[in-house]
Amino acid sequence: MTSLRAETSVADLPTVTFGQRSLMWWGTLGFMVIEGWTLALLLVSYLYLRQSVIQWPPAPSQSPALLMPSINLALMALSVVPAVVVARAGGRLDAPAVKRWLVAHSLIGVAILILRWWDFQSLGVRWDANAYGTAVWMIVGFHTSLLLLDVLDTLGLTLFFFVRRQPVKSFSDAADNSFYWYFTVGIWLPVYLIAYVGPRVI
Amino acid sequence: MHSIFDPASPEAMAVTRLWWWLFGAGLVVWLGVVAVAVRAGLSAHGAPGSDEIIHDAPGTARRVQRVIIAAVLSTAVILAAILVYSFSVGHALAQHTDQRLVIEVTGHRWWWEVRYPSADPTRIVTTANEIHVPVGVPVQVRLASDDVIHSFWAPNLNGKRDIVPGYASALWFRADTPGVYRGQCAEFCGLSHAKMAFFVIAQPRAAFDAWYAGTSRPAATPTDLLALRGESLFMHSGCALCHNIAGTTAGGQAAPDLTHVAGRRTIAAGMLDNTPQNIARWIFDPSVIKPGARMPSFHFPADEMNAVVAYLETLK
Amino acid sequence: MSALGNSTIDGGALAPEAMAQDAGALERTWSTKPGVWGWVCTVDHKVIGRRYVITAFAMFLAGGIEAALMRTQLARPENGFLGADRYNQIFTTHGTTMMFLFAVPMMTAMGLYFVPLMIGARSVAFPRLNAFGYWTYLVGIGLLYVALLTNHAPDTGWFAYVPLSETLYAPGHRVDVWAQLVTFTEIAALCAAVNIIVTVFKMRAPGMSVNRIPLFVWAQLVVAFMIVFAMPAVAAGSTLMLAADRAIHMQWFIPARGGDVLLWQHIFWFFGHPEVYIIFLPALGMVTPIVETFCRRPVVGYGAIVMANIATAFFAFGLWVHHMFATPLPELGDSLFTAASLVIAIPSAVQIFCWIATMWTGRPRLTVPMLFVLGFLFTFINGGITGVMLASVPFDRQAHDTFFVVAHLHYVLLGGGVMPLFAGLYFWFPKFTGRLLRNGLGKWHFWLFLIGVNVTFFPMHILGLDGMPRRIYTYLASTGWGPLNLLSSLGAATIAISVIIFLVNVVLSWRGGAVAGPNPWGASGLEWATASPPPPYNFAYPLIVSSAHPLWDAHAALPVATGLRTDRREVLTTTTFDARPDARHSSPRESIWPFYLALCMGVVFIGSIFRPYWVLIGTALSLAGLFGWGWQSTRPIERERIALPNGALVERT
Repeated sequence: MTSLRAETSVADLPTVTFGQRSLMWWGTLGFMVIEGWTLALLLVSYLYLRQSVIQWPPAPSQSPALLMPSINLALMALSVVPAVVVARAGGRLDAPAVKRWLVAHSLIGVAILILRWWDFQSLGVRWDANAYGTAVWMIVGFHTSLLLLDVLDTLGLTLFFFVRRQPVKSFSDAADNSFYWYFTVGIWLPVYLIAYVGPRVI
Repeated sequence: MHSIFDPASPEAMAVTRLWWWLFGAGLVVWLGVVAVAVRAGLSAHGAPGSDEIIHDAPGTARRVQRVIIAAVLSTAVILAAILVYSFSVGHALAQHTDQRLVIEVTGHRWWWEVRYPSADPTRIVTTANEIHVPVGVPVQVRLASDDVIHSFWAPNLNGKRDIVPGYASALWFRADTPGVYRGQCAEFCGLSHAKMAFFVIAQPRAAFDAWYAGTSRPAATPTDLLALRGESLFMHSGCALCHNIAGTTAGGQAAPDLTHVAGRRTIAAGMLDNTPQNIARWIFDPSVIKPGARMPSFHFPADEMNAVVAYLETLK
Repeated sequence: MSALGNSTIDGGALAPEAMAQDAGALERTWSTKPGVWGWVCTVDHKVIGRRYVITAFAMFLAGGIEAALMRTQLARPENGFLGADRYNQIFTTHGTTMMFLFAVPMMTAMGLYFVPLMIGARSVAFPRLNAFGYWTYLVGIGLLYVALLTNHAPDTGWFAYVPLSETLYAPGHRVDVWAQLVTFTEIAALCAAVNIIVTVFKMRAPGMSVNRIPLFVWAQLVVAFMIVFAMPAVAAGSTLMLAADRAIHMQWFIPARGGDVLLWQHIFWFFGHPEVYIIFLPALGMVTPIVETFCRRPVVGYGAIVMANIATAFFAFGLWVHHMFATPLPELGDSLFTAASLVIAIPSAVQIFCWIATMWTGRPRLTVPMLFVLGFLFTFINGGITGVMLASVPFDRQAHDTFFVVAHLHYVLLGGGVMPLFAGLYFWFPKFTGRLLRNGLGKWHFWLFLIGVNVTFFPMHILGLDGMPRRIYTYLASTGWGPLNLLSSLGAATIAISVIIFLVNVVLSWRGGAVAGPNPWGASGLEWATASPPPPYNFAYPLIVSSAHPLWDAHAALPVATGLRTDRREVLTTTTFDARPDARHSSPRESIWPFYLALCMGVVFIGSIFRPYWVLIGTALSLAGLFGWGWQSTRPIERERIALPNGALVERT
């Protein structure tokens, strides 16, 4: 082998980073792009089915009820607050603050999941009744799987923070968890608009 | 032969002409690029056996770049020409006239239901797997499917059209030469997809009119004793539940219309020549000829089979 | 700490004793534990990559056997070798195996093995995800092949068009097997894609700015993005739509209930067209380093080739309707898709012209890899031209769903995918194994393969234009298709013989071939700067790069960066565009969780074929696995150096 010559040293570089300097952030971003794109494809399929019929929802289905889904939407908007606080506290390596707000974040997340039951009820149609029912159940259902995963993720992270002394890297993970939460809440908006508001306007 | 090299309609002719231009251009491009590539691969520059890394002189790099750009531009020009020519052929093929003969073809697993609609009910013709058309008359085939996607394709007459449940589709052609043109289902539709052929028979106007008149008449009652026995067996063995024979009590709609089956060239969707032996083979065990066929086996003893076949032979 | 401590930045050569000490420590730190446990738990991208390549090649052989069975049946009219049902299972399995289990996994496997080596990294960004992807893929193989052997193989084609694949016409579990197989392979491909993207973005050698990334890596990166946007379509279609229609009576594709039959085709081909470029572009990525090495010069048009890859990837997503020209869609959109289908020929042509120019201005040596490159040009260009023909709607309406298309697709996949792959296998075999493949056998392989492919598939152009549709298990003698079918089947036998010769070559050379050394070809990429096969840690020190052809730059000694730890697994991350050293990341040790989670995926998706409650059981089991995975990541590490979001650097114990 050719001989080697030391040109620089990396020994002083950090070992824990936040945001786009961290590999986990990129992994989270990759997951978000994949799942977001899948949801986009489902939304496009919903719209494709819609454009080939005149009556939507097709008789005898009705437009979904708006009350409970709108309450849940507001709760989701609110849930961004603890997520932001966790991310900021993580960036300061403030363990007590992270723990407090992770608990709050978890509780709101669970509440949203529980209210999701009423989001499904409000649809007012079965998934096997017709293509409209199928499409609307699938877009709400797919989002629910992402929501469930995110809430479980948050619960797991909260548990880790309480059960044992965390390596410093976990503060970066907490910030990434919030990042994923913004995504989960953010992509609900087009689903809400298309599934609940949509049948009244399109 | 059922090939695009044998067009029998202006539609097929236009595509065949397009094909030969595409083939010619493709051959020239392929020969050119491969020749240059082989020449390049066999070339040797600099000292033979030397392993030294070659670096471009500035002039060489620019000359090579210009050659590549020229090659890319030539490619683009050829592709643009193909686009324009193809679009013009497609556009021409999409022009249709109002004066046409409408035929409704419904794809089933694994046979073709053929119906000539008419405002006059006595002039509606229903048959199966064989489509007669008059020479020189534009024909619009309206396609529908009873089950899965099929594809109607008679290469001598036009490109294919997929028959998609839930969608209306139609295919046009004008057979300019009399002849028998074979077609086959071109979209995988299950076990006997390979066994789903049909024939388009283009006849001079007079012959077509004669065929049409004959086929729109109900079946004549047989006079021969064997055939009468066969008719009775036909009506009482379950055949009438699926098959229709106009003018009799057999009114089933699930299977090919048999009113004039003896006049057809083939049976089993083009799979067997229409002979008494083949009819008997088919009735005895359809799924041997067509795996998955929905028609059950009828193991008639020999004398009964002869009777049934004799009856069917009267349905000209 | 490295034996060199906070090392000299004075350009001094590294002392051999210090290097040996470091190498020993790195070997201990990075080696996979021995035994079955280590084999199952390994996260070494080379062990996983090699395993992946071998498994994918086994799938190529399986698909080839299926093809041989098909060609035997079609060699004569009304042949009785395979009945309709068996034939339908076999042609479906052939397509499914080749597209989902061989082609894409092979390309991602080559990427997962070589991308870290080519960019000078010690590992991929997510080693456990890599392992999980492989095991998930293996579960998929198990599903399909157990199904095949128990007469439950899917039988509605690799594209599973509805309504044929809905429960009414395809009762039983065969189509569900297909739908779930797609799920497994899609998960595996997405894991590979995310890994490749993040590895290439963040773990390149210092100095490997964007314009110095090897073209093989560029191709893998572009394809990884394509996988991210294409795979979800087939996954959504197969699992969230078709399987849902079948299992819980959803109505996506039932016209009577407002569903749309063509929605399936749109969703499938939105994936299906990019899929073929996902197979094709990595193969092209292999051609560049081979041509450069054996013509002794950098490739002509590096920038043009990068842009060609990106352009191809973009256009690939805009072509899918050309698979639907025969359907009753409105004619208006057809011309747009014709134009796009023609335009995509241009970037491929650019790459081909650049390689020809490289050969023309270089000093070509016709080694076996170069022969396969020439064979690729000879064969692929034919396929590209028939592709241009098929882009024309009126012509396509005659040729669609006939053997003309079978000819086209095999010319592009075998010519444009498999031939460059063989070139790559001969080229990189020494890096995998430390030995060279035999030349003589290689040449026999090449010529028989080239002749075999052309004898098998050229007649199919004629058969298609002569009226022979696809996916038929037999045909009447009176059609006249017999003689060309027989010729085609003889060609298939020739291909089989050539592949057997390749296998013999591999078996003989794996342990018994000529020893290769680190760089037997005098190539320029970083993978040739380390031993053959590479040590578990790839490179003892990150190499510093100042050109696109680092090993061809005149160096007295290769410049490296010191300072990465040797007592724990540590990788260097760099900035995204200009690859300046940015941070050190700890890389995981062996883990059982990827294997466990892949088994859980099996429970969820295979169980769902039979009863919905398996989804719940499998999900619950998976949660335990995710928990374990996360737990493993939380092992406290002494003394970290943290770069806070506000820019401050702190140390924490």
